[in-house]
Amino acid sequence: MSPILAVQGLGKRFQGLVANTDIAFTLQPGEIRSIIGPNGAGKTTFISLISGHLTPTTGRILYKGSDVTGLSVARRAQLGIARKFQTPSLFDSLSAYENIELAVLRSRPRSRGHAARIGEVLELVRLADQRHAVAKHLSHGQRQWLEIGLLLANNAELLLLDEPTAGMTAEETHATGILVRSLAREFGLSAIIIEHDINFIRDLDAPVTVLHLGRVLVEGSFAAVAADPRVRDVYLGNG
Amino acid sequence: MNATALPAAVMPAGHRLGAWAPAVVVFLALALLPVVFEGYVVYILPQYMLFGVMAMSLALLWGQTGILSFGQAGFFAIGGYAIGIGMSHELPINPAYIGILTGILVCAVTAALIGYFLFSAGVRDSYFVLVTLALSIMVEQIAVSQSELTGGWNGMFIMRPILTAPGLELPLDGDVSIYYVVLVVAAAVYAGLRALTTARFGKILVGIRENETRMEALGYRTVLYKTAAFALSAGIAGLAGALYGTHAGFVSPSLGGALFSTEAVVWVAVAGRSSLLAAFLGGVIVSSLSNYLSALTPGLWQLFMGLLFIAAITLFRGGIAGFLGRLPARRRAMP
Repeated sequence: MSPILAVQGLGKRFQGLVANTDIAFTLQPGEIRSIIGPNGAGKTTFISLISGHLTPTTGRILYKGSDVTGLSVARRAQLGIARKFQTPSLFDSLSAYENIELAVLRSRPRSRGHAARIGEVLELVRLADQRHAVAKHLSHGQRQWLEIGLLLANNAELLLLDEPTAGMTAEETHATGILVRSLAREFGLSAIIIEHDINFIRDLDAPVTVLHLGRVLVEGSFAAVAADPRVRDVYLGNG
Repeated sequence: MNATALPAAVMPAGHRLGAWAPAVVVFLALALLPVVFEGYVVYILPQYMLFGVMAMSLALLWGQTGILSFGQAGFFAIGGYAIGIGMSHELPINPAYIGILTGILVCAVTAALIGYFLFSAGVRDSYFVLVTLALSIMVEQIAVSQSELTGGWNGMFIMRPILTAPGLELPLDGDVSIYYVVLVVAAAVYAGLRALTTARFGKILVGIRENETRMEALGYRTVLYKTAAFALSAGIAGLAGALYGTHAGFVSPSLGGALFSTEAVVWVAVAGRSSLLAAFLGGVIVSSLSNYLSALTPGLWQLFMGLLFIAAITLFRGGIAGFLGRLPARRRAMP
């Protein structure tokens, strides 16, 4: 199977600051990958390079085998690369329904049956009974889900989730893990997830990539990564 | 859950019907007005209605898309000069039509070029405001300097047009006949914009107003939508200006310029930028009010308009329409 995402030699430098260096990264269709690392490890920079919000200094990004390195954010989104921002980026004064509608209007400009599709997505992200609630009045967790709903309604194939469980209760965090796994299993979506919540990462039970000082430090199963002494070092601050 | 969700889901259709009703009342009242009144009111009202059309063009841009423009006066003036220049020539087709179409096209193309250039460069909203203000002032200056074409400071006299269609030739010399032509255009612009704002295009503009970053990350090329909105808005302002020119029989450089462009923003801010009908009424009522007040107390009306503007921006954002729209909700919230 050819990978959905293949990154080679990816680097990003902000004037003097090196944020990402020589990152090689491969993701298979339907695969979930967690990215962890201490603050400043370059996790959000990495996501931004893939979504197109930043332009890499070096390296190439191949999505489904074709080079997307020079494409705009909008063009990548049209191809199925969808990003959830660290702080949920929503249409705050619109209802949950209208939020999802804007994604559906993009992914299905001409076809009918928008209402059914919007209902379906709201059901998936557990917001069916909040459809008329204004986005800014939703809870933290519901806002995170609404943004994931936007990505689904936009026919995303590669989800880039930057701290999707921030501000969630333990129960909501657990439900998010179930949601992401079911999206991968049932719809074949791939996902890259940045998280600080180590319990969430453990529950997700997906391969983990550890970033440190802009480089890939270790890659492997959660158990292998958690047992790796280098990972313990960087998290304890000795690295 | 489904049982409780159903009535709410049915609501939007009724809601939309309710929103059409005030517009029908307004335009019906305007249609009946010449039957009841005659004289100056019937003569002058079309000019205020055209200010109302100009205000709607700004509401599309400012209220719907979140982009404030001080360039509407510039486009209005371009429209006025376009019909004037068109009608001063012998043309195979009705010169008024050519003039109006040229005015609309010049405005739309100018706006499209400026908009595309500025939006794709990612300029901030405040710089866009400044550029549009400069545009209005430039139109004024060009009208002054190109005096062979425009008459310079003296302005330009324009005839009333002849309405032509297959089997029809109606000179619009009478105040009543041109009144109805302007009314039909105003109602058509309202209906067209109304339909557009509730369609896919309008919803996308609202999305851009609410969160442009999110729209881009969803795959919308927001620059193109903003450019289209600006071009459409400019074209409508140009149409209003062309009809104004031929109705008033005279255009002068001050139709462009900083003062008139500020006035247009004040009409829309005071009346409510989020409602097309409010913007239209704002153009009609606030402009007639300011004309009345300026005749009554020449020194004080500008102060009065300024205070009204500040009140609209600080106290009740969304203007009078926004204030009225929140009233029922407040009443319900009270015990």
